[in-house]
Amino acid sequence: MRAPFRLQFEQRTETPKRLGILVPVVSVFAALIAGALFLLATGHSVGDTYSNMLSDGFFSSTGITDTLGLSTVLICTGIAAAFAFQMNLYNIGGEGQLYVGMIGATWFGLYFGENLPSFLMIPIVLLGGALCGAAWIAIPAWVRARLGTSEIVTTLLLTYVAASLVNHFIYRSGSYFRAPNTMFPQGRQVPDSAMLSPIGDTKMYPTFFVVILLSLALHWMVRRTEFGYRIQVISDSPRAARYAGISARRTTVQVMLISGALAGLGGATLIVGSFQRLDPGIVTLGYGYAGIVIAALARNNMAAVIVSGILFAGLRSGGDKLQISTDTPIHIGVMLQGAILLFALGGEAFRRYKIRVVRTPAVRVEVTA
Amino acid sequence: MTSSAHEGAQGPHHASGAAPVALEAIGIVKRFPGVLANDDVNFDIQTGEVHTLLGENGAGKSTLASMLCGLYQPDAGRILRNGVPIELPSPRAGLQHGIAMVHQHFRLVDRFTVAENVVLGSRDLSFKLNRRELNDAVAAVADTYGLPVDPTATVGDLSVGQRQRVEIVKALYQGAEILLLDEPTAVLVPAEVEKLFENVHAMTQTGKSVVFISHKLGEVARISDRVTVLRNGCVTGHVASKGQADAKELARLMVGRDIDLAAQRASHPIGHEVLQIRDVNLTMNGVNVLSNISFNVHEGEMVGIAGVAGNGQRELADVIAGLLSPTSGTISIGGAMSTDRGPIAARELGLAYVPEDRLGVGLVPSMSILDNLLLTRDRNIVVDRASVMPEATRLIDEFEIKANGPEHMARKLSGGNAQKVLLARELSGGRTATKLLVVCSPTRGLDVGAIETVRRLLDDARSAGQAILLISEDLDEIMSLADRVLVIYRGAIVHETPGETASLEKVGAAMAGLTQGSA
Repeated sequence: MRAPFRLQFEQRTETPKRLGILVPVVSVFAALIAGALFLLATGHSVGDTYSNMLSDGFFSSTGITDTLGLSTVLICTGIAAAFAFQMNLYNIGGEGQLYVGMIGATWFGLYFGENLPSFLMIPIVLLGGALCGAAWIAIPAWVRARLGTSEIVTTLLLTYVAASLVNHFIYRSGSYFRAPNTMFPQGRQVPDSAMLSPIGDTKMYPTFFVVILLSLALHWMVRRTEFGYRIQVISDSPRAARYAGISARRTTVQVMLISGALAGLGGATLIVGSFQRLDPGIVTLGYGYAGIVIAALARNNMAAVIVSGILFAGLRSGGDKLQISTDTPIHIGVMLQGAILLFALGGEAFRRYKIRVVRTPAVRVEVTA
Repeated sequence: MTSSAHEGAQGPHHASGAAPVALEAIGIVKRFPGVLANDDVNFDIQTGEVHTLLGENGAGKSTLASMLCGLYQPDAGRILRNGVPIELPSPRAGLQHGIAMVHQHFRLVDRFTVAENVVLGSRDLSFKLNRRELNDAVAAVADTYGLPVDPTATVGDLSVGQRQRVEIVKALYQGAEILLLDEPTAVLVPAEVEKLFENVHAMTQTGKSVVFISHKLGEVARISDRVTVLRNGCVTGHVASKGQADAKELARLMVGRDIDLAAQRASHPIGHEVLQIRDVNLTMNGVNVLSNISFNVHEGEMVGIAGVAGNGQRELADVIAGLLSPTSGTISIGGAMSTDRGPIAARELGLAYVPEDRLGVGLVPSMSILDNLLLTRDRNIVVDRASVMPEATRLIDEFEIKANGPEHMARKLSGGNAQKVLLARELSGGRTATKLLVVCSPTRGLDVGAIETVRRLLDDARSAGQAILLISEDLDEIMSLADRVLVIYRGAIVHETPGETASLEKVGAAMAGLTQGSA
């Protein structure tokens, strides 16, 4: 038996520009369809669930501001991942760098906060977080540049170390980070000068705009500057880089440090924003891992990370609220994230290959020898 | 096992006096989206001859061969085997008619032995392989045609030339009477080419027919009994019998205009010393890659380094370009020491370097022509592409680069145009005006038309007073361009002679390591 037609993959010589937008958009819709199948199978109403989720995530006034507030940290981890991916460096330890960024931001806040004014403290806390995020990736960066050790393994494993570190600083009695005189282990709140107040009645903080500007600045840097040029040369052809006297080692270290700093900055935005203290609950939220998906959906484009970061924040916050308002499991939001990543990566095939349907010719009598 | 040979060799198409026609293609048409790859092509091959398909890249040679072996089906036209019309829906059908193709990119399993690769795909193998029997059968086929291969060797350990032999043995083992060799010499070093030609002769002696696909004029004239020239999918000429193939005429048929590949020497007196290399040694991983190399190159002079690939040429170029540091010895460019100072310092002293690998080393494939022009230049912190744009447009024009403009991606350029971009960048100078140009295999894999252009550009650069070091495995190229010829063998300069009076025999012998000292 032969099928009447078969699918033939033809390599594209050129990827049409519209596919760059079409593929992610279709991926999101395909993921929603896949999610609908699960909702149906578990006896939930697809229409109600999605319309609640969309309105809680995007189309109500509190919904959208909650989303933008949450998106701040997700855009940070998104650009952290995307920036390293640009040079084929797979920093998947943004999660750990985020934790260490939080630890660092908290320390700077607690240590200097009593004596310095807010306009100095906020930058100090944010930069402190970024610095500690960079420090956390320094060893993976160095061994990758020197010895070629896979950064995928080292950055991932260091995430577990970072998680333990967070717990250590909270659960160890007498820890500098632990709130004194409480029975329940809890982080010590940073001083007022190290906290931002939300914008109006929302859960958004001014850091959102800082992060947006940062994404656009990085986008520009990759495209327009000498540093971005070097990244492009190395990612496409390390041998051409060597030929041109561009040091791949130095650029590798630089790019990884920046990536770690961005993830660390994400952690710091939480401290100056809604967290206000080192909170071990962070290790269950997966903001750093989400950055990988956000970067993939944006195809490592720094400006597009803003869009995919907000989309993700909406799905998450909408999903979380579903749990409260209805009996729909919270995991539908997480599942949709996974489905989006899967479809977005699968969609890459459409960018590189044309798929055509070929009719199988009627079975011919084979010529005999 | 080789018994699927075809009954007799008679057919109705029996040219009087000539050998019988084994395979004939009439009025072949093949379209690909946007291209007419073969337009009413007629082609035939007689028993026991070497018939060459000659044409530039993209002329339709490989397409025609692919149809003759059953890989593609023609849109129109007929294929006749011994005068009988046949259909070839698949390469297996081609094999059943005794037609096999040896592709440019080998289709071997690296981890299998030679014998295992040869019998791979045979349908009448027993469940449990009798290795000794198979090894003997494969060795027998190989010996018949003087193709020395060890059936028990692992293919992954073999050289490129040996792998090609395995492919040929495989085709013969499967009962091929007609072998289509697609650009077989493209991957071979000169000594291996000689060996291949011997094998081809041994095969035609026993009545096999060989279709030889090539764009290299020199070898075509040597090996072919007949030549058919293709251009843009059409047959533009035939050369009927052996020895009549005149390289100049073939080039004209191939390109469509007269081609001048005559020898060119320095027309101006040479000037000051530009490159000076003194006692350079290089040891890598405990192996002496370069030993005691000393020579110099002057303004307006072209020095050629001849040698079989892998004798230290690439490392020599990299040492001069500052990409490798010599273990001992010194290099100076324009009177200033450049040893151990890195590639950027070398360029600041006036070095330009055209590496052997165009795409991937000399050019960044996914970048535009414009960005590639910036690769070896001084870029500001913010890359100022706008100011380079006029120069890029001018260079595309001046070097006759076929591209949609400065934004054209390097990967989408043909080999010849990629080489022109590279030469345009290196000759036009970046950090300083170019004083010394190091070029490696500048015409490898290029069409005759592009070869002519590249040679003219090099000659112009020499006339403009640049010192040129030409490193090439193409001996013809060195003999017809270089003012002085040096031969490198196992990392040492073993022979030196003026280009004008260089003897092919002596240079060839030195390349093979048969002489010591210099002329």
